[in-house]
Amino acid sequence: MKTRVLLFVATVAMPRVVGAQHAAQLTPRDSALHALNRLAYGPRPGEIERVARAGVLPWIDAQLAPEQIDDTALTRRERDFDVLQYDRGDLARLYAAVQRARQERKRMGDTAVDQPDASPVAVKGRRLAAQVQQLAVVRATRSERQLYEVMVDFWTNHFNVYFAKGADRFLTPDYIEHTIRPHAMGRFEDLLIATAQSPAMLFYLDNWESVAPGAVPPQAMRLQARPFLGRRPALFPPPRDPTQRDSARRRAPQGINENYARELLELHTLGVDGGYDQHDVIEVARIFTGWSIRRPQQGGDFEFHDWAHDTGDKQVLGVEFERGHGMDEAIRLLKLLANHPATMHHIGRKLCQRFVSDDPPDGCVDDAVAAWRRTHGDIREVLRAIFHGPDFWAAANRRAKVKTPLEFVVSAARAVAAEPDTTPRLAQVVARLGEPLYLHVAPDGYPEREDAWVNSGALLDRMNAAVALAAGRLAGAVATLDSVAPATADPQQLIADVDGAILGGTMSENTKRVIGAQLSDIKDPVQARALATGLAIGGPEFQRR
Amino acid sequence: MTISRRIFVKSGGLALFSLGLDPLFLARAAFAARPSAGPLDRRILVCLFQRGAVDGLNMIVPHGDPLYYRERPRIAVPQSDVVDLDGYFGLHPRLAALKPLWDSKRLAAIHAIGSPDATRSHFDAQDYMESGTPGVKATPDGWLNRYCQHDREHQDTPFRAVAFGPELPRILAGTAPSLAIADLQAFGLRAPQPAARDRLTRAFEELYAGSATGLLSTSSQEAFQAVQTLQRVDPTQYQPANGADYPRGKLGKAMLEIAQLIKADVGLQVAFADVTGWDTHVNQGASEGQLAARLAELGQTLTAFAQDLGDKLDDVVVLTMSEFGRTVRENGNSGTDHGHATAMLVLGGPVSGGRVLGKWPGLDPANRFEGRDVAVTTDFRDLFAEVLARHLGARDLSAIFPGFTPDPARFPGAISA
Repeated sequence: MKTRVLLFVATVAMPRVVGAQHAAQLTPRDSALHALNRLAYGPRPGEIERVARAGVLPWIDAQLAPEQIDDTALTRRERDFDVLQYDRGDLARLYAAVQRARQERKRMGDTAVDQPDASPVAVKGRRLAAQVQQLAVVRATRSERQLYEVMVDFWTNHFNVYFAKGADRFLTPDYIEHTIRPHAMGRFEDLLIATAQSPAMLFYLDNWESVAPGAVPPQAMRLQARPFLGRRPALFPPPRDPTQRDSARRRAPQGINENYARELLELHTLGVDGGYDQHDVIEVARIFTGWSIRRPQQGGDFEFHDWAHDTGDKQVLGVEFERGHGMDEAIRLLKLLANHPATMHHIGRKLCQRFVSDDPPDGCVDDAVAAWRRTHGDIREVLRAIFHGPDFWAAANRRAKVKTPLEFVVSAARAVAAEPDTTPRLAQVVARLGEPLYLHVAPDGYPEREDAWVNSGALLDRMNAAVALAAGRLAGAVATLDSVAPATADPQQLIADVDGAILGGTMSENTKRVIGAQLSDIKDPVQARALATGLAIGGPEFQRR
Repeated sequence: MTISRRIFVKSGGLALFSLGLDPLFLARAAFAARPSAGPLDRRILVCLFQRGAVDGLNMIVPHGDPLYYRERPRIAVPQSDVVDLDGYFGLHPRLAALKPLWDSKRLAAIHAIGSPDATRSHFDAQDYMESGTPGVKATPDGWLNRYCQHDREHQDTPFRAVAFGPELPRILAGTAPSLAIADLQAFGLRAPQPAARDRLTRAFEELYAGSATGLLSTSSQEAFQAVQTLQRVDPTQYQPANGADYPRGKLGKAMLEIAQLIKADVGLQVAFADVTGWDTHVNQGASEGQLAARLAELGQTLTAFAQDLGDKLDDVVVLTMSEFGRTVRENGNSGTDHGHATAMLVLGGPVSGGRVLGKWPGLDPANRFEGRDVAVTTDFRDLFAEVLARHLGARDLSAIFPGFTPDPARFPGAISA
């Protein structure tokens, strides 16, 4: 009786117990599977049972406090990635060395300059770049802080930069480590300011060269700011074209560049229907004049250029920004945007898209917005509100999401207890399935909706990847099938084991029948197990989460 | 079916009227919207992206202008080497293989074409040329994909829109189904032996037929249909026709595979391939050299493709594009830097060829863009829109190029009316 009273009070004031109510309508196993499919990259062998035993709500609470989760196994594995030992400046120097070597070859009349550069410095550059992508896959696979890694992926796409655009080739790793990751579960406002001041974003959306019309750099600056080359060099694996480079001489910036201002409003904060107009975009761009990079070609940090800043009054969304406040004008604007109702709705909805459904119900979005307002944009409280709402647990939304290529590959690796190493094989599979990491050109990031990922070619590739993984043909990510199921001569037992370990007991009758028929003439239990596992991972049930 | 088609034609016509398009164009659009004879529309567009910004002035050479020679003392193509086209323009000598196609009016060039956006960044300019929205970076999809989204009359087969390469390019990104094929022979399930492969294919087909829902179901059906189709076509056994000899390399392979799909009649409507190596800042060369080698590969590939297709070329248009052109004046490294307008080629049976199209602004410094580059007199979207409308019969051009009002009066005239 006491519990009931508490529950009643809780629906008004403490949404967490509402979650208990809805989760309780599922079996402990089903709710554990659902939570592992949404807050994590799918279950590892035995994990459904562990979460079910401990209780799904305590597990969710623990995931919402990632700093308290021990993650030493991952930390050990991260030491293998030597790219983490390089800062922006180191990578910029490496990049410059590759460029110089390449120019030299070209000057010598080497007509093979468009071929991959085999010089040691270029090979090292490509290896490090591949590590950056593989590291994302390894963290998602290995980390105990699963929700945190999911959120890193979410924000990396929300605040997209393009790894292959000029200086972003050496600025992106730092952006992930020091801009996205420290703020992924913090306050949105801090994350927004961090991205606005990150060299990677300043370069990607051109704000670093946005200056008030007529502004002239001081002479000293002019000497220092050597013409910067926005190139696509051979340092990192070229996504499409290794040969492209920008004009050898870039003109001095001559006016405002609206690019960042527009995406800040449209994508990062208010949303396309957020109630701003072209005038606001221009005013935002004026506020951000002077937000630049110190010696970008050397991997320099954020720098505010007073000389480039527009000294007039500005007005955004009807709010006055009086002249004379320099870079504080933009800080004030970012804080305003971070907690604008349109922003709460835009990002709240996007989070619900990630965690609940491609077309999230209004109630779910309302809960997220209310939590945002209550906590001034504390990301973990917004998430808590989503996870404890009825829509998160509703039957219609379970297994409603199709996995992105990253989610598919990582969940497959987790399902078979693969231990990916620093070789880029898994990241390459993610790329082949359509999601080369950090290489989405447009600022909108990889989409949340299934129609972006489901097409005939990509589906066939998922099947191929599943079979290869289960058969142990993906070097660098060897499956440990003993943890999925013991090798057995009994096909029915094998199917039941695979169903339980890989699909959490959700395998359809059709899938059981088809796998059973395939096993009928296979005598070798090890081969049978690999085939059953490959079919289960490549099959339709595993494509959803 | 007939009724819905009629309504479609009618409403398409209305939409065009409101854009103020001419009656001839309207008739053309209505014509293009006729129910086709077979189950599949036969018109095909192949887009070929020259990534890196091709030097239009050394591809289609204005040899009749002394300024061209004055500005390029080391890299101009000597008049004696140019394959003359009309007394003023000529082909680079390494494109000579294309001359017969020019003479038979199946090849046209458009000069001084490019983007209204002034960027000289490869990254931005390619992005704009593929999204079809110069100056707007947030456009989520590419214009070829938007064409497929808006023209629903063409039957969706898995091979309707195919990019030849490991990743789907920006130009085909979007919600309409499109395929990236790195290697036609490897498309489908992979297994060491054919028997194992067939067995695996059947198993997955049954899994998806019985348990997949929603988009997973339709896409998997398309996938297995495509696998089956390719099995029938058997790409491993392909022999180019009419003695066509594709150059070795990625471009030749891509165009060979496109020809193969066209001849196999699998419903290919839009194909895309790209070729790199045009960013000739240093030692560009003149009649011989770096650029010449690239042009030779391009010319031989297009010639082989046309030969291989034979009569099928009557239904095909190949459109080349490049993000911008290069400086009129050669630089200090015997190369050229990033410029503005460039030249594009249009090849195929439906082409109104044998002409250099577009409005030539000349090389006079007073008429140059920012005093240094060939000015853009044809917005690339006018050419792309013409090809989509007059060749593929696209109606809703403003949906394909948002923020742009296509006007047949500005079409360069690349496709025979």
